[in-house]
Amino acid sequence: MTAGCLGECSIWHQGRYSGDTEHPSNGRSSLKNLEPCLFAEEGSPVHGDVIEFHGPEGTGKTEMLYHLLARCIIPKAQGGLEVEVMFVDTDYHFDMLRLVTILENRLAQGTEEMIKQCLGRLFLVSCSSSTQLLLTLYSLENLFCAHPSLCVLLLDSLSAFYWIDRSNGGESLTLQEMNLKKCANFLEKLVTQHHLILFATTQTLMQKSANSAEGFLPLKLPHETDTDYRPYLCKSWQQMVTHRMFFSKQCNSASSKGFTVVSCHLKRNQIVKRSFSVAECGVQF
Amino acid sequence: MVVLRAGLCPGLTEDMIQLLRDNGIRTVVDFVSSDLEDVAQKCSLSYKALVAVRRVLLAQFSAFPANGADLYEELKSSTAILPTGSPSLDQLLDSGLYTGEVMELMGAPGTGKTQVCLGIAASVSLGLKQHVLFLDSTGGFTASRLYQMLQAQTEDEEEQLEALQRVQVQRVFNIYEVLRALQGLRDRLSQQVLSSMGPLKVVVLDSVSAVIYPLLGGRQSEGLALMMQLSRELKTLAREFSLAVVVTNQVTRDSSSGPLKPALGRSWSFVPSTRVLLESKEGSWERSSTQRAASLAKSPRQPTGIQVELDIGNGDVLDPSLVTPTQGL
Repeated sequence: MTAGCLGECSIWHQGRYSGDTEHPSNGRSSLKNLEPCLFAEEGSPVHGDVIEFHGPEGTGKTEMLYHLLARCIIPKAQGGLEVEVMFVDTDYHFDMLRLVTILENRLAQGTEEMIKQCLGRLFLVSCSSSTQLLLTLYSLENLFCAHPSLCVLLLDSLSAFYWIDRSNGGESLTLQEMNLKKCANFLEKLVTQHHLILFATTQTLMQKSANSAEGFLPLKLPHETDTDYRPYLCKSWQQMVTHRMFFSKQCNSASSKGFTVVSCHLKRNQIVKRSFSVAECGVQF
Repeated sequence: MVVLRAGLCPGLTEDMIQLLRDNGIRTVVDFVSSDLEDVAQKCSLSYKALVAVRRVLLAQFSAFPANGADLYEELKSSTAILPTGSPSLDQLLDSGLYTGEVMELMGAPGTGKTQVCLGIAASVSLGLKQHVLFLDSTGGFTASRLYQMLQAQTEDEEEQLEALQRVQVQRVFNIYEVLRALQGLRDRLSQQVLSSMGPLKVVVLDSVSAVIYPLLGGRQSEGLALMMQLSRELKTLAREFSLAVVVTNQVTRDSSSGPLKPALGRSWSFVPSTRVLLESKEGSWERSSTQRAASLAKSPRQPTGIQVELDIGNGDVLDPSLVTPTQGL
């Protein structure tokens, strides 16, 4: 693999990630240290939080999921959280080889044995329709019961079935949204009952309409951030989200950190804006 | 949406289904998402029996989670990296086409999308002795050009002919024909009917925009739903049968000065894992120019923005008259 910066759009950043010095884990099994950079002070994620990653194609949403995933499954001795993670892949998009590359770069001894030990903390399930997603979520309940250390749920993406469901539902909005609404309601139940943290990506499928209600966000975004945001998924989902993070990419920025995430804590009206880069070893703030 | 019917799972009898239906429970989703205590009371059915049926239905219709370590083991043996026949393109793609993924070639007309597809077909069928399915939706497949590329790689006529036989071409001029062809492929692969087709490694769809453009506009959501159905089919085929899928797409831009981006809109933009932009090199508009620039627009492995030079004229060893595309064999 060729590293190094090539061209203006290069998203690579020289340097190595040092997971155990930058974000020291204090040894507790809380998820406070999952990624402090993503959350405002005192806004670190707690069990029960639902975080939405929203953005257009190629803005680093899935990379950020790999970053969090790696932090979760790396053992405590190496600066990770050593917890189990469930990854629900609805886009057939999950790239195991990419995750392994990130792990290899972050582990002090990236031996095959160590990598497999980390991957043992990951469960992966792919769903090909919203019906299958719903039934799969129902069936996961037992797994969550049986694995108390399984406390992070990643879902990439929640908008995958949007057009197919919309067309299958005909003229009726209720029918169009039925499966997703049931999924959202059940996700909420899973998150509350099993004290999970849920990260879900939603794709920018539509342009912001000119007269869109800005009031969807309870707070004004920094005006320099042009969030092309138009909520289109069902109300049940919109209402359960506690943090919404907008991802974007600057193509011509001079800085090496080409990606930006604007993180909004919807309950506390807190906003954090951070830049990050994506290198072979994954996301770097 | 699966409707409840007798024989769907053990313990689900005709009488039970009738009772459930009377209470508004018609589908598997209705059943598993209802409160079974409530249902047992309303339908005077055994709660235990209902719970048992629910468990079987869930096992039958949900996806099963795999452990990451097991999946990694499996992937190590099933993933292949296929050379594209062009060293510079291989370099751009981090050694070639990865099975299990959808790769998109985007470019304006005449930037060499079909030539790259033919090059891939030649390389995989001759070099790797693997089969290729070429879905041609524009009539752009040119057997003589493929033959020419093969001839440039080997002088052995036997080998050339065998390679040609490993490339199966299907003409598909609308999305329904594409979906039917992919369904047929899925059937053959899952029944392991390998007699007509040996080990298949690559599926090319040239071009995807040609079959999707006519669907867009008007009552958009139906067209978009079909488009997403196609994307789902391509991605699941790639994953389940370890195939490399290559699609070609047109380009567009937001404004006259904006950067080139893939056609077919935002929803499609998420579909391919890897995207390569082909462009004619500036100032080389002479008819004979075969130099193109290929740049990486999306990749799960490599930094985006890297660019290589590509010569799509490789293999011009024969009578130059053959360089102009001719139809069919």
